[in-house]
Amino acid sequence: MTTRLLRFLTAVSALLIFALPARAQGVEQVDIITPHITDSHEIEIPWPTWPTLHKVIELPRWHPFTLPVIGEVDMSPTKHVIWMLIAAFTVGALLIFAANAQGRQTRAVGHSKGFAGGIEAMVLYIRNEVIIPNVGHHGNGFVPFLLTLFFFILFCNLWGIFPWGSTATGNVSVTATLAIITFFVVEAAGVRAQGLGYLNTIFYWNKDLNIVLRVLLFLILSPIEFIGKLTKPFALTIRLFANMTAGHIVVLALIGMIFAFKSIASGAPFLMAVAINMLELFVAFLQAFIFTLLSSVFIGQIREAHH
Amino acid sequence: MRRTLVTLSLSVTSATSLLAQEHAAATGESVNLLDPKAGLMFWTLIIFVVLLVVLSKFAYKPLLSAVEAREAALEKAISEAKADRDAASKLLAEQQKQLAETRADVQKVLADGRAAAESMRSEMLEKVKAEGADMLDRTRREMQAEKEKAVAELRREAVDLAISGASKVIGRNLDSATDRSLVESFLSGLDAPKGTR
Repeated sequence: MTTRLLRFLTAVSALLIFALPARAQGVEQVDIITPHITDSHEIEIPWPTWPTLHKVIELPRWHPFTLPVIGEVDMSPTKHVIWMLIAAFTVGALLIFAANAQGRQTRAVGHSKGFAGGIEAMVLYIRNEVIIPNVGHHGNGFVPFLLTLFFFILFCNLWGIFPWGSTATGNVSVTATLAIITFFVVEAAGVRAQGLGYLNTIFYWNKDLNIVLRVLLFLILSPIEFIGKLTKPFALTIRLFANMTAGHIVVLALIGMIFAFKSIASGAPFLMAVAINMLELFVAFLQAFIFTLLSSVFIGQIREAHH
Repeated sequence: MRRTLVTLSLSVTSATSLLAQEHAAATGESVNLLDPKAGLMFWTLIIFVVLLVVLSKFAYKPLLSAVEAREAALEKAISEAKADRDAASKLLAEQQKQLAETRADVQKVLADGRAAAESMRSEMLEKVKAEGADMLDRTRREMQAEKEKAVAELRREAVDLAISGASKVIGRNLDSATDRSLVESFLSGLDAPKGTR
């Protein structure tokens, strides 16, 4: 009972403390959601300045250059680039550390334990339960790609939940690139598995039908097949982007309600924000898993396709 | 206490993201969330490909090869155990077969021995019986001979005594063959009524 009371009091006092600056700033309306979910040329880092607790760092701006077809490309590092790099470094460090520890422990006692064991269990689960069953036989070549996809997306998602962090996977450019990479991997897998038969996955040419129906169906179904190829990466793009963005919008809206209420009733949106944050933690894993699972399914489909 | 700390950290987590963003909102331009940026896409591509290469070389390869080595070792151990078990059960069956054979042999030997002993015993019994009977027969025959000899001796003795007694009585020497045959005929006359009696 006392611990419950203590928890409640802590929550309320935290609310009050963090509500103070908002009160002090008066009633001017600020859009807190858009900057949070969009990219920018500055990042916030933790800094002991009261009460904002962060410091804004301007990122360098480089001259855009022009590429044929694509047009103007601005390679200046942005907030999401930085967080992607952070995610990539943490993934790399953790996995390499885990791999080393696992190798050492395996040599020492025959199996891995602790953190390395956990990472090994994750890697093995993704490999044995997600990739191999869906990709099919000889799917081992796709394991590194799909595992990297999973861990990279997972850590981008997780860094978005971290305070001061930003969700790179909540940016459509990032998810689109990942989906396009997946698209090329899928199509390359199709070409490699089927050779010339790969053309059948685009052009519908059924030799069991008579020539009139064959041409007719070819004209109708070929565009559909082709669009079907493009909808898969599109769905991947939008699913990840929308999930990550939506979660953050919900959390931020609930936090905004805390300050809009300016009363003890703020406890309700606060608790909901906490709950949604928990949900976001789950969604971070779920979406990384789904992206990997669907990529595996697409690769498996095109490798087995016999039209 | 720990849960209180968790609650506090969660509050901070929820609130800081808000605080961090407050300042940046001033720019009023509308934002298109679905507008892809070529620069960011290239960055994503570069980061992802580098991460893929690094992870495949330094993380997945050692990790999965260790796992595969372990799986292979386990499989080997299992197949070896299975082979061992098969060999053991085969050996056990063989042993049991041998045991059964030995037992049957022993039974046979025992039975044979018993039969041999039985036959030997009866044989010996027969032999002993026959010997005994033989010996009895012989003894009886010897005794008969001894008896006859003794009777003959006695008779001669008796004849001598009778003759000497009679010669004393009549005062002369009765030693002629006629006297002797007289006594002997008397004695045989004694024998006759004795035999009829």
